[in-house]
Amino acid sequence: MKEKIKNYASKNGYTVMLLALMAVLLLFFTITKGGDLWHLGPWKGICMQFPEFGLMTLGVMFCFIIGKIDMSFVALGDFASILAVKYMEANVTEGMSNGQIAGVIGVAFLIVIVIAIIGGVINGVLITYLNVPPVMATIAMQLVWLGLSTALTQGYAVSGVPPLYSEIGHMMVFGFLPMPLLIFIIFFAISAFLLKYTVFGEQLYMMGTNEKACRFSAINTHAMVIKTFVLAALFSCFGCMIMVSTMNSAKADYGTSYVMRVILILVLAGVLPDGGVGKISNVLLSIVAVQIIATGVNMFPELNAYYASLIWGGLLLVVLVITAITNGGKKFSFKKKKTS
Amino acid sequence: MSEYLLEMSGICKSFTGVKALDNVNFKVRPGKVMCLAGENGCGKSTLVKIISGVYTKDEGEVLFEGKKISKITPAEATKLGIQVIYQDLSIFPNLTVMENLAINSEITAGRALVNRKRWEATAKEALSKIGYNIDLYAKMGELSVADKQLVAICRALLFNAKLIIMDEPTTALTKREVDALFKTVRQLRDSGIAIMFISHKTEEIFEISDDVCIMRNGKNVYSGLTSDLTPQQFTFHMTGRELTADHFIPKNISKDPVLKVEHLTLKNKFEDINFELRKGEILGVTGLLGSGRTELALSLFGLEHPKEGKIILNGKEVHIGSPIQAQNLKIGYVPEDRLTEGLCLNQPIADNITLSSLKRLCKAFGLLKKQDLIDDGNIWKEKFSIATDDVRKFASTLSGGNQQKIVLSKWLSNDLDVLILNGPTVGVDVGAKQDIHALVHELANEGLAVIIISDDLSEVVVNCSRVIVMRDGKIVGELEENDITEEVILEIIR
Repeated sequence: MKEKIKNYASKNGYTVMLLALMAVLLLFFTITKGGDLWHLGPWKGICMQFPEFGLMTLGVMFCFIIGKIDMSFVALGDFASILAVKYMEANVTEGMSNGQIAGVIGVAFLIVIVIAIIGGVINGVLITYLNVPPVMATIAMQLVWLGLSTALTQGYAVSGVPPLYSEIGHMMVFGFLPMPLLIFIIFFAISAFLLKYTVFGEQLYMMGTNEKACRFSAINTHAMVIKTFVLAALFSCFGCMIMVSTMNSAKADYGTSYVMRVILILVLAGVLPDGGVGKISNVLLSIVAVQIIATGVNMFPELNAYYASLIWGGLLLVVLVITAITNGGKKFSFKKKKTS
Repeated sequence: MSEYLLEMSGICKSFTGVKALDNVNFKVRPGKVMCLAGENGCGKSTLVKIISGVYTKDEGEVLFEGKKISKITPAEATKLGIQVIYQDLSIFPNLTVMENLAINSEITAGRALVNRKRWEATAKEALSKIGYNIDLYAKMGELSVADKQLVAICRALLFNAKLIIMDEPTTALTKREVDALFKTVRQLRDSGIAIMFISHKTEEIFEISDDVCIMRNGKNVYSGLTSDLTPQQFTFHMTGRELTADHFIPKNISKDPVLKVEHLTLKNKFEDINFELRKGEILGVTGLLGSGRTELALSLFGLEHPKEGKIILNGKEVHIGSPIQAQNLKIGYVPEDRLTEGLCLNQPIADNITLSSLKRLCKAFGLLKKQDLIDDGNIWKEKFSIATDDVRKFASTLSGGNQQKIVLSKWLSNDLDVLILNGPTVGVDVGAKQDIHALVHELANEGLAVIIISDDLSEVVVNCSRVIVMRDGKIVGELEENDITEEVILEIIR
């Protein structure tokens, strides 16, 4: 039995680490805040909050697995949701039946999907055909989308979300399952399925390990990169649409802090930006762990919003340093010199 | 003072269980040229890296000028006067000749500021040692290989070198450049410097060396005076067999060519290439680095796109725009550089083997069963005797030869008409090399058309029933069965 546990631990280092981290966090907040954490309230909050950046994390996870990165996803999602809210604002008039409003919402979602595809394709083309380094390409696109949104809204929040939309967003499915959580579960299932049981998933991991070898193995690497970035954009735009229902509006800079949070979650989960590795189950654990941190920090009123960046930035730095130290030895050992 | 400059005895070195060097003994005399000879993968480079301190030996004794040296580090080796000129020359292509010459001594001196005049003086001093003239301000990257080599030699001399090791220096040189290099080598020899010259080319070794040490499979099988050997004995020691015996003889060549290339031209790479390839035949394409041989292969695999000329496959003109189209046309390509182009090292062996046949293995809607990959991997593991106990282990756990078998399996699991092999046995040990050759012969006799691109002439001679020789992007010779010898090819290549 002991052997088995040891064996499991050595093979699933990240899983063990994440479980331990969660235990430590829960213990810490329990000790410092007494029983405050163990009410329904905070947990309900946790379940309501993580789906929006959880979706984004799942999307960016695909980019990480092929060894690339997307920095533009939140800005793109904000732009898409601004257009969607504007469309809904313009087309929902008083006296419309719920059915008609649902129709308008449907069209708004079509707009979101189209924008997501456009954004994803642009990222993909920049990276795979024009060979722009992914970080720079997507940071440039992040600024473009942010700029477009700001110009379109003068920097103000766009409200006018039909009440029905927020109602759906706050609905409890089967009486206990918050709508955002249900959506997250669905997307999580789709992602897990893609990674584990499809050719696409298999090719993602192989691409992340050696893109050139994949091209030499008759894999359409250009299409793969574009598909991956479209997927990331779609996931992220849906995440932003969840945000619209909780905030009851859309704005050019909603959720900008999620960019770093998503990277933090992925690195913490062992989905390293070098590509080719990562388990989706660890991503789920990591999302929950990070949400516990967020909720826990909120329970300290003295740590107000002005400290948020410092906390997240510091955490990311610590996690990056730890992974770099623990992986450093292994990571470069495969680069054998040829002997002849 | 000992008669020998460098004496090594009982040197052993293993890499993850594989013995690269097994009890190697040899001696280098000052003022003599000593040749270290052997086929690819025999341990020559490993030995050099032990002398230069890049690797540490597992066992054995090293004496330099009669003194025992227990541990060699690269810095220590430089201090002793050992300089290695590697094949890639370790130069900075973006810097000038002067900067390349002066940079090491500047760094060793620990200076923080740049002084052009001092740099120039250092560089001039270096060049004067072999009486070599070149523009000090020329960019290193723009020089010819021969010039780069001479600059590298000058740089080595700046360190008061007593032993200069040259790792296959003639690989990319023309005949005239080789003569010039040999002149410099003799000049150095006469000034009392010991030269260790690494090569596998018979005629060069007989021309330049006083002593010779021949290695095979990590052991040294002969060491002594070069003049005591005949070229036949030399070849025998090097390969361990009489070479003429196992030529590939095609058994059933098809009447019509499966692949025909007409006037194929890729700007600045190759021009007006014409050849035919029949089923059951192994065609060799050889030439120096930069002769256009690799680009020609890439054009047939859809990774280069020649604007002029025709590729005719089974009687129909085809356009090959990408590897995917090449695969659909039943053309497979085993790339030159296994590590960067052939393998996903940190992924399982099975996943690597099935990488190009996922379309065949998947069910409706792109669904894939992991077990199918493992089963397919096991089939090839058996067929090719890949040395692993579990195909779920990473490809990086295997030796070069076994890794190459993976890359071959990846393409052989496709239904192919034409298989292009670019340097199929580079860095592969002799045993695996023979396995690979035997398998290619078998495939050809089953009706596959094979192209082998290689600068390993012995490989070309043994395996190919027809050989095309390329130089500067053109076909300069085509040889049929009995004309194919290393000497003839060498004659044409330069």
